[in-house]
Amino acid sequence: MGRRMPAIFGFFLLGSAAVAAFQSGALGAALPAEDLSNDVCLACHSDPSASTRLGNGKTFSLYVSHKALAGSVHAGLACTDCHSDITTVPHPTRTFADEHAVSLAYYQVCKQCHFDEYSRLLDDVHYAALAKANENAPTCVDCHGSHAIAPPAQPRSRISKACARCHTTIADEYVKSVHGKALIEQGNNDVPVCTDCHHAHDTANPLSASWHLQIPQLCAGCHANKQLMAKYGISTEVLSTFLNDFHGMTASLQSSEKARPREFTATCTDCHGVHDIRQVNGEGLQAIKVHLLATCRRCHIDASPNFPSAWVGHYEPSLRHSPLVYGVKLFYAVFIPFVIGGLVLQILLHLWRAVVNR
Amino acid sequence: MTDYVTRFSVRQRIEHACIGLLFIVLAVTGLTQEFFPMRWAEWTILTMGGIDRVRWVHRGAGILFTVLVVFHLGAGMWQAVSRLSRPAIIPTRKDFLDAIMMVRYYLRLSDQQPRFGRFDYRQKWEYWGMVLGSVVMIVTGFMLYFPVLTARFLPGEVIPAALIAHGREGLLAFLVIITWHLFNAHLSPEAFPFDPSIFTGKISRERMEDEHPLEYEQMLVGGGESPGEPTSGETADQG
Repeated sequence: MGRRMPAIFGFFLLGSAAVAAFQSGALGAALPAEDLSNDVCLACHSDPSASTRLGNGKTFSLYVSHKALAGSVHAGLACTDCHSDITTVPHPTRTFADEHAVSLAYYQVCKQCHFDEYSRLLDDVHYAALAKANENAPTCVDCHGSHAIAPPAQPRSRISKACARCHTTIADEYVKSVHGKALIEQGNNDVPVCTDCHHAHDTANPLSASWHLQIPQLCAGCHANKQLMAKYGISTEVLSTFLNDFHGMTASLQSSEKARPREFTATCTDCHGVHDIRQVNGEGLQAIKVHLLATCRRCHIDASPNFPSAWVGHYEPSLRHSPLVYGVKLFYAVFIPFVIGGLVLQILLHLWRAVVNR
Repeated sequence: MTDYVTRFSVRQRIEHACIGLLFIVLAVTGLTQEFFPMRWAEWTILTMGGIDRVRWVHRGAGILFTVLVVFHLGAGMWQAVSRLSRPAIIPTRKDFLDAIMMVRYYLRLSDQQPRFGRFDYRQKWEYWGMVLGSVVMIVTGFMLYFPVLTARFLPGEVIPAALIAHGREGLLAFLVIITWHLFNAHLSPEAFPFDPSIFTGKISRERMEDEHPLEYEQMLVGGGESPGEPTSGETADQG
């Protein structure tokens, strides 16, 4: 039996190929593939009423606007570059259950050219959802559009608006945040849009430990940039002061470890918020202070009301900011060289006298 | 006459071995935390199994260290009270005069060296420095171990101050050990290459006469072949 299987299988393959060839020949009407110019396609598809019925009963428009196509970044492409399954006109009827099924049938087409983006997609939360047949998972066209594809970051606010189509609650928070307001109201291009933190195509799970531990570095991308922060009068010591603290040290070291930590340590977002980050002065500062005890208590369950003052803020200790810490630092800066210097001096004297005695 | 006399009791030798071992564990797990932004420190922490494990080992060793220090000081005080004797490790006026005399000798202002008793002023200095340092380490260490409890009684700012003090005091202790202690126990012309007294409990008669002449004379007057059990709970770190 082991020897006969391949022969049978081969025969079957030959048979199906013959059937396929026969079918395409039978349906192939007037035009072969190479003659399918855009004008041929648009002869039918530029009719605004061109549509088909989906499996779920909804009407699906087949209309493609001349204008949209001409203004798209893909204006130079032929329809059949993407719709390569269409080889003849009139083409065979295809039926789809719903809109999602349509985009699923075509999203693989994009990777023919955009392979880099596609390969990064393999680490993407959306792609993971797609692989689990989640019908809400987006494909390329859900963010980029189909026939009217424009450069994604012109203007940058377009990116956040694309995400907002699904992530409505977060988008509402974001537009009220210090970053969102600057982007939407002032057209400020320094502030992060969704993809600056979450990335496009390789969007990681933001609830994972590894994500949480790299938040300080993520924020530092802008907040440790002296030139950028000088424009807004924001201190760039925020990262170093955090890393010098217990929690910053924990996050920094845990992110280098292979093992997943047992508990999360506090990072930037735990005090400042995530999508609703506010300016740390006036009302925004009050809001942080009000929530700080509750924030501490998420880990330090019995924390007393003065416990949050153990965090001395993002200031280098000085006479003005946390003088006690400054004092202790100063004391040891003098005391350690004094003691060690004295000891070394006595050792040297001892040796010198021992040599002299000989 | 034997060539050696007893200098340290078994208890003192065990205490020294324990405190030495704990000091090494605490220094390795502590200084790597103090210097964590540096490559070598990060590498050491990761090699030891990550920051969480290093912290638990540090805390465990810290608790044992505390127990040892409390036991040592408690026993010393109990002996002093119960025998109504003044422990030899307590500094006296003579120690200050000895120090001045020693400096004069070093500077060749005088050829006369001070004559020491059971412990010389340098040993007493190191001992009390270690006791005071230990108290600072233990107090700040427990503040950092139990920050919530600390903030219940003290202002919150004490905690970051304790963090600085703990790190710097630990660094100071480490530097004192690798300069002063290693010199006196290994590198000084008198001890080179290794002074084994604290491990064997014995010291040669020759060194006894040289380094602790007052104690040796007392011992001979007392008629004993050895100073016997020390009269208090002192632990010096070298012979």
